[in-house]
Amino acid sequence: MTTPIFSSTSWMMRQVIYALSLGVMAAYYFFGWGVLLQIVLGVITAIVIESAFLAFRGRDIISSISDSSAILTATLLAISIPSIALWWVVIVGVSFSIIFGKQLYGGLGNNPFNPAMLGYVFLLISYPLQMSTWQVDFLSLNHALEAVFNLGNIDVISGATKLDEVKNGLSLVGSIQQLEIQSPSQAWINAGFLLGGLYLLFRKVISWHIPASFLIGIVISSMLLWMSNVDLYLPTQNHLMLGGTMLGAFFIATDPVSASTTPKGRIIYGFLIGVLIVIIRTFGGYPDGIAFAVLLMNMTVPLIDAYTQPKVFGQ
Amino acid sequence: MADYSFNGGIVIKNPYLVDKVGIIQASLPTKVVLPLQQLGGQVKPCVSIGGYVLVGQVIASAKDSFGVSIHASISGVVLSIDKQIIAHQSGLKSECITIESDGKDKWIDRKNNHVDFLHYSTEVLIETIQKSGIVGLGGAGFPTHVKIDKVIDCHTLIINGTECEPGVMCDDALMQFHPREIIRGVEILLHICGAKRVIIAIEDDKQAAYHALLMFNHNDRISINQIPTKYTSGAEKLLIKALLDVEIPSGGFAVDKGIICQNIATAKAVFDAVISHRPLVSRIVTVTGDGVRPNNFEVRLGASFEHLISLASPNKRMHNYRMGGMMMGIDVADINAPIGKTTSAIFVNNQVQKPVIQECIRCGQCSEVCPVGLLPQQLYWHAKSKNIEKALNYNLPDCIECACCDYVCPSHIPLASYFSFAKALGKQQTREQDKINIARERFEYREHRLERSKLERAQMMADKKKVLKEKMAKEQSQKQKIDEATQRVKQAKDKR
Repeated sequence: MTTPIFSSTSWMMRQVIYALSLGVMAAYYFFGWGVLLQIVLGVITAIVIESAFLAFRGRDIISSISDSSAILTATLLAISIPSIALWWVVIVGVSFSIIFGKQLYGGLGNNPFNPAMLGYVFLLISYPLQMSTWQVDFLSLNHALEAVFNLGNIDVISGATKLDEVKNGLSLVGSIQQLEIQSPSQAWINAGFLLGGLYLLFRKVISWHIPASFLIGIVISSMLLWMSNVDLYLPTQNHLMLGGTMLGAFFIATDPVSASTTPKGRIIYGFLIGVLIVIIRTFGGYPDGIAFAVLLMNMTVPLIDAYTQPKVFGQ
Repeated sequence: MADYSFNGGIVIKNPYLVDKVGIIQASLPTKVVLPLQQLGGQVKPCVSIGGYVLVGQVIASAKDSFGVSIHASISGVVLSIDKQIIAHQSGLKSECITIESDGKDKWIDRKNNHVDFLHYSTEVLIETIQKSGIVGLGGAGFPTHVKIDKVIDCHTLIINGTECEPGVMCDDALMQFHPREIIRGVEILLHICGAKRVIIAIEDDKQAAYHALLMFNHNDRISINQIPTKYTSGAEKLLIKALLDVEIPSGGFAVDKGIICQNIATAKAVFDAVISHRPLVSRIVTVTGDGVRPNNFEVRLGASFEHLISLASPNKRMHNYRMGGMMMGIDVADINAPIGKTTSAIFVNNQVQKPVIQECIRCGQCSEVCPVGLLPQQLYWHAKSKNIEKALNYNLPDCIECACCDYVCPSHIPLASYFSFAKALGKQQTREQDKINIARERFEYREHRLERSKLERAQMMADKKKVLKEKMAKEQSQKQKIDEATQRVKQAKDKR
């Protein structure tokens, strides 16, 4: 079998964007047009902001925009925020991602942190209300436009995410077994991202190390907690099927620029992200911990890489 | 089939369609240019301008025991001895002997030797190899007589029949059409180095060559091994790993482990030299690429690239010329450059737009194919910022510059070039550091010397003072004695 080669970095980026489409379709099925609206807003913002910044830096705009990395960042962020968030939320978030997460470090390849997650955390800390209100029903295009651009007095039935709900419910009821911890919509969306991720693995755009160790990290840590007290802690399968687990495992933690780059290092990196996610979900103040876990592990990458160099021939 | 293959490496199908691998005799060039520069220094010309030379006549000989002789590859008149363009990226010039052909191809007197080579001592055979101008024909051009003489306790001789680069097929053709000569050549090498066994390594996509050699091999000390077809299998240390599962330590040499590697073409050249008394005046060169009809040519050394390319029916488009191979070869600026002993292939490709170089996203494709297990994505980072110290931490010197990483890089970064540059920079820095260290040591020694002489002088002064003091004390006591004596005399006088 001949060694496969990829035609370009842009090709890899586009593969990741295509692979996202399954999960996005599932999200659209449950939440409607708001999902797509956020993506469109995010992508337009990313292109405008990145072009402006590249012009400001005196770089070639066309070649940098066409590498699709800004579009990918915007898409990942837009997927992560609630689909009825007001229009400026995604614009502010994507702008922050592109400027502070990427361009200020020198553009693609030079950023130590995952830009999409940096933007997400920025939004989460700055606008907690906007970031934690999710709608429950399918929204038509008109309703979505009205909600996002704040046009009319439309009634959107909104609520917290399942992880948030469980956390709040637990403090009231005292036992997880009395709560409804299933969320078919989130399970389907996760399934969509899982399939997309398997496609990326199959095309060898990402390696298995990070997703596998990420999921194993979640499984082991959540299993230990659950076995210690079944009333207090979520079962493992719910950890896997709630929140952004699959998106995180296959699309966010695998960002090659900010992840560890050695085989052993990738396993450590992915595993610790998984463990951190369970810890933040269980004991932290925020409903989901993927963004924080990824950013925390981004910081450790230089150290991990330095100590996990593979064996060199003849040494 | 032994396979302890190393990690990484890449598998590439021959990118250019070949009808049938053969060896075409190239027509005699009208002029040859023979460079005097070889590995380890320049050789001294022993002909003069205007002199008539025969094919196989020595025209330059080595000043030391390391270099090899250079022979006229055509008969004719020495036109000039001066700087000529050689095969180089930027069209560098180097000292060369130019011979104009008389078209007669007259050889020196060659007595055909039917005496068994076993009757010769190894010293005589080694001298013959040196005098016949044989160097490693795989690519490095290391003098064969030095390599084979150096080893004391050789147990295994490896004959490298793996094609060094994808698309190159000169060794394949040689094995198919000259198996008898190769086996005899191997036997001569075996006789010289006294190894217990010989392994001829052939890639498993060269079945014709494999069977040809099998048919002519009747020596039970010679075994012919097939190894998986993979690029960088031809690299000496990696080949040894694949065949014997022996890892030559970083910075070490195969000979330290009692292993010698020789190229298959070198074995054939040894046969020619020892049995046919034919010095190295020609070699087999693959001419390939999408700009020509690919095949192998036996061509006289010193013929120009242009001469050879014109024989391979090139198309009329603009071409890029590359010497050696698509991976490790170098782009040749000027095709008037001569074909040398190590020119295994010429790639003639239609000029195309080169892919745009993008930023490194650390995807790690490169580290997956690196046959030495390096992390090119990290090395690149440090090489680019000229942070040599960091690059050394990531084992920069172990890079064999095979360019597997270049081949798979989705951002099309010329990684191997960065590493070769960083290595050169590192060497320069070490040299400068050495100079600084020497200067500092000298300064410190001078300071130490001055200090010591100062101390010595002080000691000397002190010693002198002491001696003087003692002397004065002695004089004092003598004076006192005299005084006492005079006193006594005086007293005695007074008494009286």
